[in-house]
Amino acid sequence: MNRHADLLPGTLDLLILKAVSLGSLHGYGILLRIEQISRGALLIEQGALYPALFRLVRQGYLKASWGISNNNRRAKYYELTAGGRERLRQEEASWNRLVDAIAWALGVEAVQS
Amino acid sequence: MTLLAYLRSLISALRHPREEDNDLDEEFRGHIERHVEDLERSGVPRAEAERQARIAFGGCARLKEECREERHGFWLESLWRDVRFGLRMLCKSPGFTAVAVGTLALGIGANAAIFSVVRGVLLRPLANQDEDRLLYLRQSVIGDDDVTFSVPEIKDLGANLKSIKELGTMSQLDFTVVGLGQPREISAGVADGNYFDVMGLKPVVGRLLNPGDDGPKAGGAVVLTYRFWTTAMHSDPGVIGKTVRLGSYEGTRSATVVGVLEPSVPYPVETQIIANIVTSPHHLSATMVEGRVHRMTEVFARMAPGAKFESARAELNTVYAGMLAAHPDVYRPNDHYQLTVTHMHDQINSRAHTILWVLFAASGLLFVIACSNVANLFLARTVRREPELALRAALGATTGILRRSLLAEALVLCGSGLLAGVLIAAPMVTVLSRYAARFSARAVGLTLDSSLLWISVALAFIAAVFLAFVPRLPTGDSSRGFGISSSGLRVAGGSRRRLRIFAVTQITASFLLLAGAGSLLRTLLVLQQTQPPFETAHVLAVNLPVMTDGRTPEQVSEFYREVQRRVATLPGVEHVSAGFGAPWRDARFLNINFAFTMQGAQRENALDDPRARFRPISPGFFETMGMPILEGRDFDERDRQSAERVVIISQSVARELFPGQDPVNRELRWTDPVLKFLRMSYEPRRIIGVVPDLDDQDLIPSATMTIYQPSEQEGWNGQRLFVRAKNDPYSLVPAITREIHEIAADQPVEHASTLDDIRAEVMSPDRLNAVVFGGFASLALLISVVGVAGVLAFSVSGRTREFGIRLALGASPRHILTDVLLEGLVIAGIGVATGVLAGFFSVQAIAKYTTDFQVPGALPLIASAALILSAALIASALPAARAARVDAVQALRSE
Repeated sequence: MNRHADLLPGTLDLLILKAVSLGSLHGYGILLRIEQISRGALLIEQGALYPALFRLVRQGYLKASWGISNNNRRAKYYELTAGGRERLRQEEASWNRLVDAIAWALGVEAVQS
Repeated sequence: MTLLAYLRSLISALRHPREEDNDLDEEFRGHIERHVEDLERSGVPRAEAERQARIAFGGCARLKEECREERHGFWLESLWRDVRFGLRMLCKSPGFTAVAVGTLALGIGANAAIFSVVRGVLLRPLANQDEDRLLYLRQSVIGDDDVTFSVPEIKDLGANLKSIKELGTMSQLDFTVVGLGQPREISAGVADGNYFDVMGLKPVVGRLLNPGDDGPKAGGAVVLTYRFWTTAMHSDPGVIGKTVRLGSYEGTRSATVVGVLEPSVPYPVETQIIANIVTSPHHLSATMVEGRVHRMTEVFARMAPGAKFESARAELNTVYAGMLAAHPDVYRPNDHYQLTVTHMHDQINSRAHTILWVLFAASGLLFVIACSNVANLFLARTVRREPELALRAALGATTGILRRSLLAEALVLCGSGLLAGVLIAAPMVTVLSRYAARFSARAVGLTLDSSLLWISVALAFIAAVFLAFVPRLPTGDSSRGFGISSSGLRVAGGSRRRLRIFAVTQITASFLLLAGAGSLLRTLLVLQQTQPPFETAHVLAVNLPVMTDGRTPEQVSEFYREVQRRVATLPGVEHVSAGFGAPWRDARFLNINFAFTMQGAQRENALDDPRARFRPISPGFFETMGMPILEGRDFDERDRQSAERVVIISQSVARELFPGQDPVNRELRWTDPVLKFLRMSYEPRRIIGVVPDLDDQDLIPSATMTIYQPSEQEGWNGQRLFVRAKNDPYSLVPAITREIHEIAADQPVEHASTLDDIRAEVMSPDRLNAVVFGGFASLALLISVVGVAGVLAFSVSGRTREFGIRLALGASPRHILTDVLLEGLVIAGIGVATGVLAGFFSVQAIAKYTTDFQVPGALPLIASAALILSAALIASALPAARAARVDAVQALRSE
C-alpha cells in the first residue's frame, strides 16, 4: 500500500471533476480514470465515490444521465456542466497555489536545518 | 443549475423516492458488475472476483443512505417523516396535545384578532384623499382643552393663508326631519361649500356640497351619509332630488337631497345627513355670524400642495396669535388661549390609541403565557422521553437529527394551534370590533384581516422553534446526565430550572393582566355602586324633538304645555314635567353653562365670574325627579314670560356664594357675553328656591353649580318629557305616544327610557372594558393554573424516589404535602413579585407617553395577588396529594 498516497480531504471532488472533464464517464469509469491519470498513485475507496458524485450533482457541477455503455449495458453517465468547468479551473488554481506554498515552505526549512 | 431545474429535481425527488432508490440500485449493481468483469479478465475466478468486488465496494445499504442524504430535498423529506412520527406521538397523548393546541390557539387567535382590529382602526388609511394633508384645528383654554370655533374666529384664521389651501367647517345640529321616512329627529352636520373638498371625499350618488351652496340665497341642499342611506333609506337611489323639511329651533326650511357621501369616518361626531348653511336659520343669524364667543363649529384644513406640516402649523399659530392680540377683551391672557393643529388621522385615532395598544400588550402577554405553558408541557414531555432520545443518540442520531424530530413535533403542535387559533379569531374580531366601536367609528363592521394571517403563521413558527430549542438533548456521550435505565425519570437539574422559569413567567404575565382587569373592574363596581342621588328608577325620559314647521313660537310652547297637561291625566302617571336635556344622555345640552354674578354675594377675590350649568325646566321638575326643595318654592303658573324673572339655584351655588346666609329673594344676573345672541337678557333674576345638587353629567356625582330657569321665560322649550310613574314606566309609553299624536300627528316621540337605564347605558363602555380585560385575565389565569399544576405534577413524579426515601426514613406524609404546596407557592410568589416590579416599570414607561393612564390602586393588586396565590395553591394540591400518598416500598422498588 506504500505506493498509494493518502487522499487529502477535499481533493476527491477535485479529482472527480478532473476525471470527468476529459469526457463523460460512469462511476466505475471515473474510478479507473483517476487511477490512470494519477499513474496508479491514488486509489479511491470505491464506496466514497458515490456520495461525492451525488453531492456534485446537487451542487450543479455535474450532470447525470442514463446512457448505453460500450458493452450495451445501461449506465449512468456523468459529465461536467459549465459551472463544473469553472469550479475545476478555480480548484486547480488554488491547489497549485497551495502546492507551491507548501513546497516553498518545506524548501525553506531544509535550508535552515 | 437554474432555479427551475432545481425545483423540478426537488419535486421529483419528493414524489418518486422509490424510483430514485431503484436507480441507485442499478447504478451500484452496474459498478460491481464491471469490477467483477475486470477482475475476471485478469484471471480471478468468477466467485472470488464477485467476493472481492463486493468487499471493495463496501456496504450498499450505508452507501445508499449516504447518497440519499446528498440528494435534493433530503432534509425536507426527513422532516416530513419526522412530522408523521410526531403526529403519531401526539396522538398517543391526546390530553397533552389538546391542552397544548388549545393554549396555543388562544394565544395565536387573540393576537390575530387584536392585530386585525389595531390595523383596521389605527393603521388603515382613511377614505379621505391625501389624508396626510388633512388637518384638524382645535382651541384650548385653561380648564377646557376641547373648544370649537366661532364664525368670526374662522374668518380671522382663514384669511390669507399660504400653507393652507382651504378651510372647511361643519357644525352639528339636530333637525326634526319630515320627508325621509317617519318624521324624526336626525343628527345633522351643517357644512360650508368647501367642507367636502377640504375633507377630500367623493359622492357615491349625485353630488356633494360646493361653494355654490353657500350664502343666504342658495337653495337648501342635503347630502346623506353612506350609512344613513344604506340603513334608513335602503340604498334607494330615488331619494336623490327629494324635497325634505328640516326643522330646527329657529324655524323650518326646505332642502333637496342632492347626493350620498362615500363611506368615511365621521369625525368628530357621527351625523346622518350633512346640509348646507341655509337650512339652519341659526347659522344665518347674527348670533352665529357675529358672535365671537358663540363657538359651535369644527374646523378642518387642507394644506396647500408642497406645504410642510410644520410650516402650516407655524403659520396658523402666527395668525391665531394676531387674532388673540386684536381682541384682548375676548381672549384674556389668564385663559391661555391656544391653537392645536393635528393630522386628521392622528386626531381620529387619539381616543382609540391608548386602549388598543393596551389590548395589544394584553394579547402579547397572553401569547407569552401560552408559549410558556406549552413550553412547560413540552419540556416535561421531553424529559419523560429522555430514555427514548438517549437510545436514539446512542444508535448514532446526531443532536441535529434529534432536534429536527422535536421541531417536527413542535411544528405539528403549533400548526394545529394556528388552525384552531384562526378559527376562533374570527368571532373574537367581531366581539372586539363591537368593543372598539365605542372609541372609534372606524371599528364598525371590521372582520378578520386575512392579509395579516402571516403574522399568525409567524407567531406559530416562532412558538415552534422556541419549543424545539427549549429542551436539552442527550449527546452521544450518554455517561453524562442521561441514563437509559427504564425507570428513567431522574430529572436533570437544568430542565427543572427551566420549567420553573416558565411557570414564573406565566404567573408574572397573568398577574399583570389580572391586576389590569382588577382595576377596571373596580372602576365599574364603583360606578355601579354609586346610586343616583334620587329615586330615578321610575322616571321616564322621552324625547319630543321640536317641530317648528308652520307654528309660531307661542304655538310651540303651547304644544309642550298641552303635552304635559294631557299626560298628567293618564292613569299611572304621578308627575310630569319637561326639561331641556335628559340627565346623563344629552351631553350636548348638558354642557351648556354660563357665567353669572350675584348681588350681595361675598366674593373673596375679583376672579372671573363663576359659571353655572344652565337648566330651563317646567314647574314640577323637582317633584318628578324626586328632589326635595330645601328652601323657598318651585316654579309655578305665575312664572310666565311676562312675569318677574326668577331662578332656582342648587345647594352648591348657595354654599359657594352665600356662605352662612339665606340666598332666597336675593338676585343674580347672567353675565356671559354669549347670551346676547340667545335672545336672553342680562336683567336681574330673583332667587326663589334652593334645591340639592343634581349632577346630571357624571355618574359619580360631585358638587355641581346649577341654575334652573323656568322654560316659560325666554323661550327655552323643554323638548324632553319627564314622567314619574307609579308602576312600570315603560307600560306608559304607548299611552303617552297616543296622547301626543292626538295633539300633533307627526310629532316624533323617541328614545323613551328610564333614568336608571340611561345610567346603565352610559356605564356600558366601562362594563365592556371590564368584560374584555376580565376575559383576557381569566384566560391567562386558567392557562397559568394549568401550567403551575403541570410543573408541580412533573416535579412530583420526578421526585417519587426522593419522597419514598424520606417516607422510609420517617418523614410524615403531611410534611411532604406541605413541601410540594410550598414549592407551588414559591413559584407563584416569585411570579407575583416579578409582576409587581415589571408592572411598576411599565407604568413608569407608559406615564411618559400618555397622561390619561391611571395607576391601579392597591386593592386590585392585593386582590389579584391573593387570587393567583390561592389558584397556585389549588393547582399544587393535586400533585401534593399524590406525593403524600407515595408508597415508600413501591417507590424504592421501582428504581
